[in-house]
Amino acid sequence: MQGKANALMQGFIRCHDCGYLVKTADQLSACPRCDSHLHARRPNSLQRTAALLFSSFFLYIPANIFPIMNVNQFGAGDPHTIAGGIIELFNSGMVPIGLLVLVASILVPSLKLIGIGLLLLCVHFRWQINARKWTVMYRVIAFVGRWSMLDIFMISILVDLVNFGAVQIIAGPAATAFAAVVILTMFAAENFDPRLLWDNQQNL
Amino acid sequence: MNDFIEPPYEAADAEINKKRELPLIWLLPLCALLVSGWLIYKTVSEKGPEIIINFPSADGLEVDKTKIKYLDVEIGKVTDIAINKDMKTIDVTAEMHKESSSYLTNSTQFWVVRPQIGLSGVTGLNTLMSGAYIAIKPEKGKRERHFKGLDIPPVLETNALGKKFVLETTNIGSMGPGTPISFHGINVGEVLDYELAKNADKIKLTVFVNAPYDQFIRTNTRFWIDSGIDLSAGADGFKLRTGPLSALLGGGIAFRTDPNDKAADIVPENTPFQLFDGYDQSTEVIYHRTVKVVMYFNESVRGLAIGAPVLLRGIPIGKVTGINLEIDVKTVDIEIPVLVEVEPDRIVMINKPANMTPKENIAHLVAKGLRAQLQTGSLLTGQLFVALDLFPQSKVVAHNNHTGYPEFPTTPSAMNQIMNSAQAVLDKISKLPLETMTSEINKTLTSLQGTSKAATKTLVTANGTLSTADKTLSSADKAMSSAQQVLTTLEPGSTTQYELNQLLQELTQTASSVKQLTNYLEEHPESLIRGKNEK
Repeated sequence: MQGKANALMQGFIRCHDCGYLVKTADQLSACPRCDSHLHARRPNSLQRTAALLFSSFFLYIPANIFPIMNVNQFGAGDPHTIAGGIIELFNSGMVPIGLLVLVASILVPSLKLIGIGLLLLCVHFRWQINARKWTVMYRVIAFVGRWSMLDIFMISILVDLVNFGAVQIIAGPAATAFAAVVILTMFAAENFDPRLLWDNQQNL
Repeated sequence: MNDFIEPPYEAADAEINKKRELPLIWLLPLCALLVSGWLIYKTVSEKGPEIIINFPSADGLEVDKTKIKYLDVEIGKVTDIAINKDMKTIDVTAEMHKESSSYLTNSTQFWVVRPQIGLSGVTGLNTLMSGAYIAIKPEKGKRERHFKGLDIPPVLETNALGKKFVLETTNIGSMGPGTPISFHGINVGEVLDYELAKNADKIKLTVFVNAPYDQFIRTNTRFWIDSGIDLSAGADGFKLRTGPLSALLGGGIAFRTDPNDKAADIVPENTPFQLFDGYDQSTEVIYHRTVKVVMYFNESVRGLAIGAPVLLRGIPIGKVTGINLEIDVKTVDIEIPVLVEVEPDRIVMINKPANMTPKENIAHLVAKGLRAQLQTGSLLTGQLFVALDLFPQSKVVAHNNHTGYPEFPTTPSAMNQIMNSAQAVLDKISKLPLETMTSEINKTLTSLQGTSKAATKTLVTANGTLSTADKTLSSADKAMSSAQQVLTTLEPGSTTQYELNQLLQELTQTASSVKQLTNYLEEHPESLIRGKNEK
């Protein structure tokens, strides 16, 4: 049963780009149809994902402790961190917007980091899990990635719109770090090969 | 089919990739680590000392917004505001920049800059928009982290170059910290502070003169109060001197360097100077050598004030320094010794014998008739001054002098002399035999009365005569009226007149006939006899 479970075990490699099935016995390194590099699983998927994840973790720290936005009013700066901005939104009664920012800027990136971390750990330690559910989680992570750029979009619009000389909005160092976190987690999710989840399962 | 289970190149491919990709992909987390590590390190390393400043009120201060600035450069930020334990003041916690730690010493001063509008200008206007900020005046000293904020900004906000001097005056007027000091109209400094002298007889103003101008404060430099409008009337008309506009409103001090002072006469810091009340006063020469004498006036000294001038033929040579009242209990003699300070250097001596002291000189002048006299300076106010002049006839009257100063003889004032003459006139009048004069006048009046009675009688008689005359007049009146009637009958147009006219014409004709007859008779007298000769 296990022997028939996937194409690799039956001696086939599917071209990653055009989906052409190649027999492993042919020992080809390139797809005979589209001439792209042939590999059974994404090469170094775990390593790359791990490296990108670590980068995201490192950048996630400055993204949260430094001000993301500096409202410069008559020469007097008013820096806001992500968390500070959310608290201010809650305090001024804008609970829905506060919740939106909380989800987009704090929950989504942190859950993404934790999710990818769990996927990596699962593959590395060959945890016996419900691979179907974990694959759903991977899909959600890959899909939701781009939507946590909300803060960055908002700041980039504000920086351009609010520029009256007397009042200016300047993006803080956390904005760059946060954008990097989002992009790196997107790459990490992209580099993770969900098939690895299935490779290690004994009880399929 | 078993061949497929172990793909021979899978591992090999992976191995190649591992060698090639491992260092490259792991550079990324390294970079991320470096970047975030550097960011955090920078923030932490820039974090300066945390200080606590005690202020009386948190008016305008905001957490995370209020800055601490020195020369408009931000060097810190307020991170917390809390009520002090004494429940009366507030503690402002501020996070300073790292480089500021060197000048946070025990003599560093903090104050809150808010907009201020005063006579000398508007300051801190930018804080209207940006909110108040805390200003700092760094000083060298011992390290300190707890400070007491100032209620009002210190006058010298920056460590400007210049010198401090002390001005002594008796009246502070409208001056105070911030009062400008001008030199030829240039604003060169300001009053920092003032305090009452220890024995409370004068006020000491501490002033600051900025660096290039402090060299003009020399030994004989004169300071005067340059505020308000100075209107003086002289022989050449009215003169109006005004200070700068801000000095007009808020007071001001000006100074002038003596042209004879050289650069070597520059005085050190904190040298005391006298502050004159006005420009004119500051131009007066000060004589340090004085001779004090006492004068006794045998008249009222009302209008004579301390400081009244002593004039020798109109030129001031001294002033009155004291007026006392002495009553001898036994004899009830009232004496008014007037102390006078004369500056002998004001008088240029010609032909002065050597070794003659001012006192000897005065004695010599007194012997020649020099006397003091009270004169009225102003008719409006009745102010008196002491005039010295030569009165060779006047006698020297010595008084019982207790003052210890030499006595200077006086002579009564001109007004007093007039009063004395008037008194003499009155005395003469009082000596006149007024009573006998009155009785004689009385007699004369009685005889006059008799005369007037006789006159009354005469008048009564005259009255009778007048009534007779009246009667006569009435009969005359009647005669007149009959005459009137006669006259009316003769009026033109009346019958009588016409008849009279007729009569007169006939008479005329008769007369001409008679005339012809007589003429004929003259020529022919014979006709009387012969008759008319008919030819």
